[in-house]
Amino acid sequence: MIGMGRIIRSGERVALSHYHLDAEQWSAMLSAPGATLPLMSCWADDGRAYVLLLEGDRPLLASTSVEDRRYLAPSSRFAGAEWGERVAYDLYGVEAMDARGNGAPALDEGGWTSTWPLSSRPGPAAGGLRPLAGSHLLRPEQTGLSGPLEFSFDVLKGKIRNVDVCAGGAHRGVVSRLLGRTPEEAMPLVSRMTAGGFVAHPLAFARAVAQARGLIPGAGIRDVWMALLEIERVSLHLFDMARTARGVDAELLATHCDHAREAIARACAEQGVSRRLMDMVSCDGFREGLEIVPLAQAVHAAMQPRLAALEELHRVFAPRLDGFAVLDARLAERFAVGGVTGRASGRSMDMRRREAGMRLEALRATGSSQGDARAREGLRLAEIRDSLKLLERILGSIGLEDDEPAPDRTEEGIGVAEGARGDVWYWLRLKNGRIENLYVRDPGVALLPVLGAMLRGYPVSRVPAALGSIGLSPAGIAL
Amino acid sequence: MKIVSRTGPLSLLHAFMDATRSRAVVDGAVARRERPIGLYVLETGGCEGCFMEIESLNGSAFALEQAGFVCVSDPADADWLLLTGAVTRVCAEMVDRVWRAMPPGRSLIAVGACAVDGGPFPAGYATLGGLQALTPMRRSIAGCPPSPEDILRALQELAQA
Ligand code: SF4
Repeated sequence: MIGMGRIIRSGERVALSHYHLDAEQWSAMLSAPGATLPLMSCWADDGRAYVLLLEGDRPLLASTSVEDRRYLAPSSRFAGAEWGERVAYDLYGVEAMDARGNGAPALDEGGWTSTWPLSSRPGPAAGGLRPLAGSHLLRPEQTGLSGPLEFSFDVLKGKIRNVDVCAGGAHRGVVSRLLGRTPEEAMPLVSRMTAGGFVAHPLAFARAVAQARGLIPGAGIRDVWMALLEIERVSLHLFDMARTARGVDAELLATHCDHAREAIARACAEQGVSRRLMDMVSCDGFREGLEIVPLAQAVHAAMQPRLAALEELHRVFAPRLDGFAVLDARLAERFAVGGVTGRASGRSMDMRRREAGMRLEALRATGSSQGDARAREGLRLAEIRDSLKLLERILGSIGLEDDEPAPDRTEEGIGVAEGARGDVWYWLRLKNGRIENLYVRDPGVALLPVLGAMLRGYPVSRVPAALGSIGLSPAGIAL
Repeated sequence: MKIVSRTGPLSLLHAFMDATRSRAVVDGAVARRERPIGLYVLETGGCEGCFMEIESLNGSAFALEQAGFVCVSDPADADWLLLTGAVTRVCAEMVDRVWRAMPPGRSLIAVGACAVDGGPFPAGYATLGGLQALTPMRRSIAGCPPSPEDILRALQELAQA
C-alpha cells in the first residue's frame, strides 16, 4: 500500500519540495489509500494544477498538466480545495472535473472587462453583476469586516442553515500585477496585500524568493524578521480583540485594546518606522536604517505594563463569548484552519516552531481548545504575552548563528510566515530574474469552508460579531 | 496613560477611569456646530490599511466625537462618505447604492492613495483605479495609509473650509 506522500515523490522532482505528476500519478494521489495529507492550498492556471500539502510540518507541492482546460479535481479528495478550483475557473477558465460543491463564482461576480482575465485566451466581458443565490444577503458594507465580502444565506425560521461567500468586491487582480516583475519591483505591492499582514505577507514572499535563489538569510536578518512579525502579531491581536469585544458590548476591554494598539503604533513611529510596519521587509533583509533593538524595546515597554489590565478585563467579559461561533476541532483539522482560530480549536499547528533560530522556549501559549470566541480571545492574549517573551529572547541573543544549509538554486521557492491571523504561504517561479508564476495563500481562505458550520443556527444579525472574532481579511482572501 | 496593575474588582473601576482619562484630546479650536458631521466609511478594494486606520480613529484612542464627527452605520444618517481602497468594478454598484441612500448635501472624500487614484492598484480588469478617474474630486486625504491624526486633521480642515 503506497501512501499519498510516496506517490507524490514518485513524480519528477523539479524543485526543493515540488513534484510534477503525470495524469496517472495525479489520479493515484487523489485516491491514495491511507491518511490524507493536510491541504494548505489548491490552485490552477492555464498550464498546471497544484496542491500544496503538509507532510509533518514540511510543505509538499504536487502539480499536473491541465489538458484542454481541464484537470481532475483535487476536491474529490481534499474538501478544502473547492475554493481554489472556483478561483481558477474565474481567473483562467480551467475546469476541475468531478469537483465538489456548486461551482458558484468565487471572485467573478460579473462586471470585469473580460471573463477568465488571466487566461491566454480570455473571453468577452460578462456584462452586469450576477445576483447571488440564497434567501438572505449580507451586503459587503454590512459585514463589519474591513473589506467587501458578500454573503448569501439559506435561512429557516430565522436561523442560518447554509452560507455562501463571494469575494469579487475585494479582488484587485494582484497576481496579474506581479507577473513579469522582478521580486524587488514586486515587493511594494506584496507589502500591500492586506493590512492583516503588512509584515507576514512580504516575509513569506521574501522567504520564497530566497529559496528560489538558493540563499539563506543570515542570522541577523532572520532575527529582525522574527521580531517584526511578533510586533505585528501583538498589534493585530489587539485589533481583533477590540473588534470581538465590541461585538458583545465589552466596550471597556475594547478601549484598553485600542489604547495599547495605538501605543505600539506610536512607539514604531517614534523609532522612525511606519506605524503598522509597512515596507519594513525587503527581499534580502529589511529597510535600511531600521534599528530593531530600540524598536523592539520601545514596543515591549509600551505593551508589557498593559497586560495585567487586559487580562483582568478579559476575565470579566469572557463569559459573554462562551459558546459563541464554535469551530469544531474536526473541521479545523480537516480544512487546515491555522492561526489563533485553528489553535483555539485544538489544531496545534504553528509554523514558527519549524523556523531555524526560533526561541522555542518562548512559545508556551496554551489555553482552552473549546473552539469558541472565548477560547480565541483568551489565546490572543496568551500569544501577546509569548510575543513579548520572544522579543526579550531575540534581543538577548540577536544574530546567533544557526547552521542551516542553503538550498540549491532552482528558480522556484516556497515561503511561509506564521502571521497573526495564521500561516501565509507564497510559491513562485522565476525566469530570467522575473516572476514567471506566483501563488499567494492567505490564512483567511481556510476559514471559508468552515463558516457554514460556525454560523449555523444563528440569526443573520449575529454574523458580524462572529466574523469579527475570527479575524478575516477580504483583501487577503480575494487578492 | 496610567497603567492598571491591580487585580480584583477594584481594578475594573481603575480600568474604567484610565480608559476615560486617557482619551486623546483635540488640538486647536473646534468649530461649533449644531450637530456632529456624520461619517460613513466604505472600503472598496484596497489592502484595508486605510479602513483600519479610520477604525482606530473611531476607537477609544482618539477624540473623534469631541472634534465634531460621528461615525454612523446607516448611510441615511451620513453627511460625508469616506471612501478607502481602489474602487473595484464590483464595488462600484455598492458605492452608488450607499451614495444614493445618503441625504442631500452629502460629500464624498477619498481617504488614502488607493481611493484617490488607485495607488498600487490602478485601473485593471477588476478595478476602476480610484475616484479621480470617475468623478471630479475636490476632497481627498493623501497617504498610504494616512495616520488617524492625519485623517482627523484633514477632516477638521475640510469642515472649516
Ligand atoms: S492607500 Fe495604501 S494603506 Fe490605504 S488601502 Fe491603499 S494600499 Fe492600503
